[in-house]
Amino acid sequence: MNQLFRRLRYLLHRRRFDRELAGDLDFHREMAQRTGAPLGNALQLREQARDAWGWTWIDRFSQDLRYAARMLRKSPGFTFAAVLMLAIGIGVNVAVFGFFDLLVLRPLHIRDPATLLRFHRRAPDNYAFALPYPEMAFFREHSRTLSAVLAMNTTKLAVEGEAKQIDVDFVTANFFTNLGATPLLGRLLDPVRDGSPGADPVVVLGQGFWQRHFGADPTVVGGPIRLNGKLATVVGVAAAEFSGLSLNATALWVPIAQQPYFAAGSHLLTDYSGTSGVRMWGRLQPGVAPQAAEQELRSLAAELRKQHPDEIWEKEGLPSDPGGFAQSMIAGNRSGTGSEGKSELYPVIGMVAALGLLILAVACGNLGSLLLARGVAREREIAIRVAVGAGKGRLLRQLFTESLLLALLGSIAGVAVGYVVLRALMTATEIPVWLNPTPDWRVVAFALAAGFASALLFGLTPALQAARQRHRATIARQFLVGAQVAASCVLLIVAGLLGRALDHAISSNPGFEYQHVLSIDPGLALHGYSPARAQAYMDTLEGRLRALRGVRSVALTLGPPLGHRSEIAGLDIDGRAVRVQINRVDPQFFQTMQIPLLRGRNLMPGEPRAVIVSASLARGVWPSQDPLGKKFSLGEDYTIVGVAGAARLVKLEDSDSVEVYFPLAQADLPAASVLVRASAAPEDLARAVAATAKSVDPNTFPEVELMKTGFRQKLRGAEYSALTVSVLGSVADLLACLGIVGVVAYAVSQRTREIGIRMALGARPAHILSVVLRQFSRPVAAGLLVGVVAATALSRLLRGQLYGIGNLDPTAYLGAIGIFAVTVAVAALWPARRALRVDPMRALRHE
Amino acid sequence: MPKTEMPSGALVLLILRVLRSGALHGYAIAQRIHVLSSEVLHVEEGSLYPALQKILLKGWVTAEWGISETNRKVRFYRLTPAGRKQLEAELSEYGRVNEAIQSVLRTA
Repeated sequence: MNQLFRRLRYLLHRRRFDRELAGDLDFHREMAQRTGAPLGNALQLREQARDAWGWTWIDRFSQDLRYAARMLRKSPGFTFAAVLMLAIGIGVNVAVFGFFDLLVLRPLHIRDPATLLRFHRRAPDNYAFALPYPEMAFFREHSRTLSAVLAMNTTKLAVEGEAKQIDVDFVTANFFTNLGATPLLGRLLDPVRDGSPGADPVVVLGQGFWQRHFGADPTVVGGPIRLNGKLATVVGVAAAEFSGLSLNATALWVPIAQQPYFAAGSHLLTDYSGTSGVRMWGRLQPGVAPQAAEQELRSLAAELRKQHPDEIWEKEGLPSDPGGFAQSMIAGNRSGTGSEGKSELYPVIGMVAALGLLILAVACGNLGSLLLARGVAREREIAIRVAVGAGKGRLLRQLFTESLLLALLGSIAGVAVGYVVLRALMTATEIPVWLNPTPDWRVVAFALAAGFASALLFGLTPALQAARQRHRATIARQFLVGAQVAASCVLLIVAGLLGRALDHAISSNPGFEYQHVLSIDPGLALHGYSPARAQAYMDTLEGRLRALRGVRSVALTLGPPLGHRSEIAGLDIDGRAVRVQINRVDPQFFQTMQIPLLRGRNLMPGEPRAVIVSASLARGVWPSQDPLGKKFSLGEDYTIVGVAGAARLVKLEDSDSVEVYFPLAQADLPAASVLVRASAAPEDLARAVAATAKSVDPNTFPEVELMKTGFRQKLRGAEYSALTVSVLGSVADLLACLGIVGVVAYAVSQRTREIGIRMALGARPAHILSVVLRQFSRPVAAGLLVGVVAATALSRLLRGQLYGIGNLDPTAYLGAIGIFAVTVAVAALWPARRALRVDPMRALRHE
Repeated sequence: MPKTEMPSGALVLLILRVLRSGALHGYAIAQRIHVLSSEVLHVEEGSLYPALQKILLKGWVTAEWGISETNRKVRFYRLTPAGRKQLEAELSEYGRVNEAIQSVLRTA
């Protein structure tokens, strides 16, 4: 401890200590001279003595750094090119990491994010991310490990002046106070005033909605607003920086106790069946571990099950995730039977990160070649330094310091590039304002680490080569060319695959016809319809819709195609686990969606245990047998009566997804949607359909949507990813080409004399070109091969995102390789032309 | 007679020992060791000053300004309490090892 202190004191007063030491030594020599003793080198002695303090490296390092800075200043062109390449390479990775940081690493801007937990339900056979409200209330009442419980239910409501229904977040009254949110205007919800069902109906506006809908008019606070036609008072505006624990920028918050007031007839607060339910968060008591809370909730659930054996699952547990991170919001409202699928976030981020690293690899390879060439140009300088006594280690350190300095500049520029890229992407994809892409210390540390790693990659080999005074850097250079080719090849192939997938998705038939279909979500469950009332409603609605001109057919379904609602089940078929997309439909569904029935027959009323499977499922599970009549179990035994054409109704992008259609039961009707096939343009029918739906029960607020719109929304994500990867691929290709231009030009300039002799002896242009380019053909070919192999491996991760084209799609591969081959050929031939213009006489006289 | 080299551990011990009776400057330390060893041990400046810096770093001695016999302002090194303790420890350790070696040499 003391020693460290003395060492630091020495560092601070280095000059004084050094002077004193010099004084000591001077005196010693003066005395020794009298006795005539021999003397050593004073400077060297002083350095040796100073070594004891362990700070000599700082002197050497700062010396190296000053020298490196001078060298970089002396060749601004090289420095600019190098920093630009690094900025692109590091910047892309900083953007990817920045996104990961935002979602996973950076705590939300709420009070005490570490103690917030997000709970979901899980039992051996079921899982759900939402709880029935009364179950949540039971936990809230009895839990001792949680100091507070927060809950949210999102319901679409009609708002005056808005064309479409708007998602309203119904939250417990403690939501804002517990999360420590402050209002932008007026007040937020307050547990005392807004907690009871009898309180005055109030609404808190999101800042975005307030600006869009009210033109940021501050006088709306205290004024009225109508939701689903019901009057309420606007009490305040929440700032856009408040996450609201939701990835959708929330427009409106309303106390959950008032949900039945706005959604007439809603049973949300008393319904155990979990058709809608709430998302639940808990605040840990100080000093309590999340496991303790989970354990307590598990035993509370078991207790509650005694009173509600049908609704609370057997062995129900409530696992938690840290709630203080954006990641916890992604799960949304999924539910299903069997075990839940793995998170899709990590494979996607991993994939993007791999592509980003490839860009960095190309940039490093490029810079490595540049440095190698520079090392050859600096041979003279290095030879002089060796001659005056520089050791190999010292030389290596000095050359590497130059690379480190470049990497540092690259990291700084990379942070800026990453910020700009991330910001642009986030603006384009309408990610909420509170996800702030400004780099934090993690991003900066990442950029510095990436810079250091790249310095090792691009700087070490050239430094070693130069320090050893090796003049033949050909092999290293060829390797670097090969690596760049491989990396950019992978990127181009992935871009090709995504582009092809997008093209395929737009042009091909997804197995069903969506262009002429409208969906109506009457929201009966929200309004507290019983199954019997829902049946009556649907019968009336279907009758009136069929009577409309231009309606070809009408069907009912629980999950409208291309919608957000999806039900996934893990089936056990003959001992094999199969994950299937479940839909519940009536017999008119297949005709309405134009999904062909390939074998067997349609569903029939009064057959609750008959199902239809998709041809893709039948092929996968019974490749050589007749699927008709086969049975499987999912709670009950079901019999397959028909096989329908493969139609990826929900996961358009995943060619591995398979479907099972169950008959729609009366109990499903309150949550069902109606599908209408129009004989002509569906746009013309939309208004009439909406009016018809409203006419059946004026208290409801049916939502009518064109299926085309849903399709376009689904594709938007694919468009972004295809565009992004294409840009990355082009950047990598460009970098690789620049690198090749550089090395070929260098090779030509090195071999001018040899070319001159060959020309003088009568070599033809083609021969000269082949001589110059031969040394590059092999690394390019090897890089291409490695790149294709790597792409086939990497693209397997993409299988689920390719809209039905294979991950080995030949068009994408050949297209990418073709583009690459052409650009590389141009990049190699353009500088090689110079070889043909060599004047033999001048080349020979030159020596 | 060739100069006898010293292991650096021993040099530290000797420096601490000659400083026990009072503060000395660097040259005087070398001289004292030379004289006391009947001119057998030579302390080169190349080993004396690194050793002194090390001892300073460890906090066993402090340096203070004084006037040399030639009327020059030089640094005198003075043993600290920590240095005194270290000297005692090294002395007893040295005595123990020395005795052990001696007994082996006598009886083997």
